[in-house]
Amino acid sequence: MKKYAEDYTISEMMAAVCSLQINNDDVAFVGVGIPLMAGAVAAATHAPDVIIVYEGGGVGAKSRRMPWTISDTPTTDNALAATAMHRVFSDQQRGFITVGIIGGAEIDKYGNLNTTAIFGENGSYHHPRVRLPGSGGANDIASSARRTVIVMRLEKGKFVNKVDFITSPGFLSGPGAREKAGLLGDGPCAVVTDRGLFKFDPETKEMYLEAIYPGMDVEQIKELIDWDLKVSPDLYVMDPPTEEQITVMRTLDPMGTVLGRKSLRGEIEPFDVYYNSLKKSYQGRAITL
Amino acid sequence: MKDKRMTLKEAVAKFTWDGCTLNIGSICAREPMAVAHEIIRQGRKNITFITDTTSDPAELLVAAGCFSRIEAAYIWIGVVGQGYNIRRAVEEGIPNHIEIEPYSNYTAGLRLMAGAMGVPFLPTKSLLGSDILTYNPKIKVIDDPYGSGPVALIPAANPDTTFIHVQRADMAGNCQIWGMLGNDDYAARAAKNVVITCEEIVPTSEIRKIPNMTVIPEYVVSAVVELPFGCHPLSVTGCYWMDNPFRQEFIKASRTREGILAWMDEWVFGVENHEQYLDKVGRDRLAKLQELEQDNCMIPEIIWRTREGM
Repeated sequence: MKKYAEDYTISEMMAAVCSLQINNDDVAFVGVGIPLMAGAVAAATHAPDVIIVYEGGGVGAKSRRMPWTISDTPTTDNALAATAMHRVFSDQQRGFITVGIIGGAEIDKYGNLNTTAIFGENGSYHHPRVRLPGSGGANDIASSARRTVIVMRLEKGKFVNKVDFITSPGFLSGPGAREKAGLLGDGPCAVVTDRGLFKFDPETKEMYLEAIYPGMDVEQIKELIDWDLKVSPDLYVMDPPTEEQITVMRTLDPMGTVLGRKSLRGEIEPFDVYYNSLKKSYQGRAITL
Repeated sequence: MKDKRMTLKEAVAKFTWDGCTLNIGSICAREPMAVAHEIIRQGRKNITFITDTTSDPAELLVAAGCFSRIEAAYIWIGVVGQGYNIRRAVEEGIPNHIEIEPYSNYTAGLRLMAGAMGVPFLPTKSLLGSDILTYNPKIKVIDDPYGSGPVALIPAANPDTTFIHVQRADMAGNCQIWGMLGNDDYAARAAKNVVITCEEIVPTSEIRKIPNMTVIPEYVVSAVVELPFGCHPLSVTGCYWMDNPFRQEFIKASRTREGILAWMDEWVFGVENHEQYLDKVGRDRLAKLQELEQDNCMIPEIIWRTREGM
């Protein structure tokens, strides 16, 4: 019998929902932030045989602490292989990566993602209103992973009719467009947000609302989205995270570095606090071993 | 045995110049911050930076006005915050406008791979349908003459100089890397000059014990610099873990132009060299970072022996 957590944050809910998109037989490419945590939770709970692949070249790590980026040292901790970035991306183009999980800043109804720049009024690529990080490996994952899962917060102005810059391709202009462009992967299969789970219609390739989180409201969700959002006739309310999932997240990430529970963006922690909480987190290492 | 050892000051003076094309190897782990500090101290300008993904070193070099152009997949500070300095440069032209030629991580690696193979370009199925093609005029899409449909052609890159930080090297430049490799094997072979910075210079006999770990052979290397803790506040697999409180201070300072200038006055111009920087960070703190990494991950000693009874 599953025991559900009573005390959890929305970020933890997102990571839990995202982890359930990963199956035991997947070879999974995970990007920075919530995707990293989702991969770690899947591996520690329902998908013990999943092979997590990190962009820097780490393969199959059973990390005893949370990787904070796609290339820091835990990405090869207790790993099956420590190889190169071009190697794992070639493996993906060859078809070995079954799922890729990526984030975005701006998305349209066909799942095209922008993480490059928000142009703004009178702005342009070279002179944008907001410069963002760029693709990283997201374009490659969106191009060639067999399926992709997108994770992003649902905020007004982010789910738009047309993104300023297609960094990572979804279904481009609709049915048949990926095939015409020559892309290898099947494209996005789900969008995990902080209010609900979205999927894509197999015929029209349009994003629709599949399920909502406890306490969320469909009309409020629709107001945040620029296009006329379709809702599944079988819409359901999703289960909260399990106690087991929450325990894994808080053990691996005691400072909330990845999920922003205790945000690193605000107060700067003294070095000794940092040192002691990391020391403590290593005591939880048995979870993933 | 060739002895290619020099100081960081000498290597930066010899192998970088105004207007050069530069690569700094690895991502997050093994990104040598000390190299960025020295390039800034020597006042290099107008550099074209060629990389896949980069974090703190590029942010600082952008803030110091060393770059005029970046050809990369990702320029940001991961985890602890955003890239305030790159944003100010691109959005407001402070301290100077930087043009960014966009790539993805795979295609940034393919440029170096093509450069390392001595071929003009490599084909890929990445980037198709995206606006990276719209804003990167160098990449061409053709119809595969063998019938697989559209392919993107990624032209080779051969940067003037790359700096690559490794765990250990001998004085001739045979480099052994522990942990993920990034695109460093190809970056080293693509660049015209290769400066290796390392945690430790070891005798060649140690290299010979485990040649499978040698990622970069001496014949591609121009100079070797022994630079312990050369990546602080970033990490090096098996050596030391990330100093996030230090990075938070850096990011906090980066929020304003005045803040980052003061930060550079203190941490870059306020010290003469890397040794002084490490003293200023504090040796106790560095030892704790070493402990945090080595609690989890150490380069194992390989002992080769025949099975009993054989």
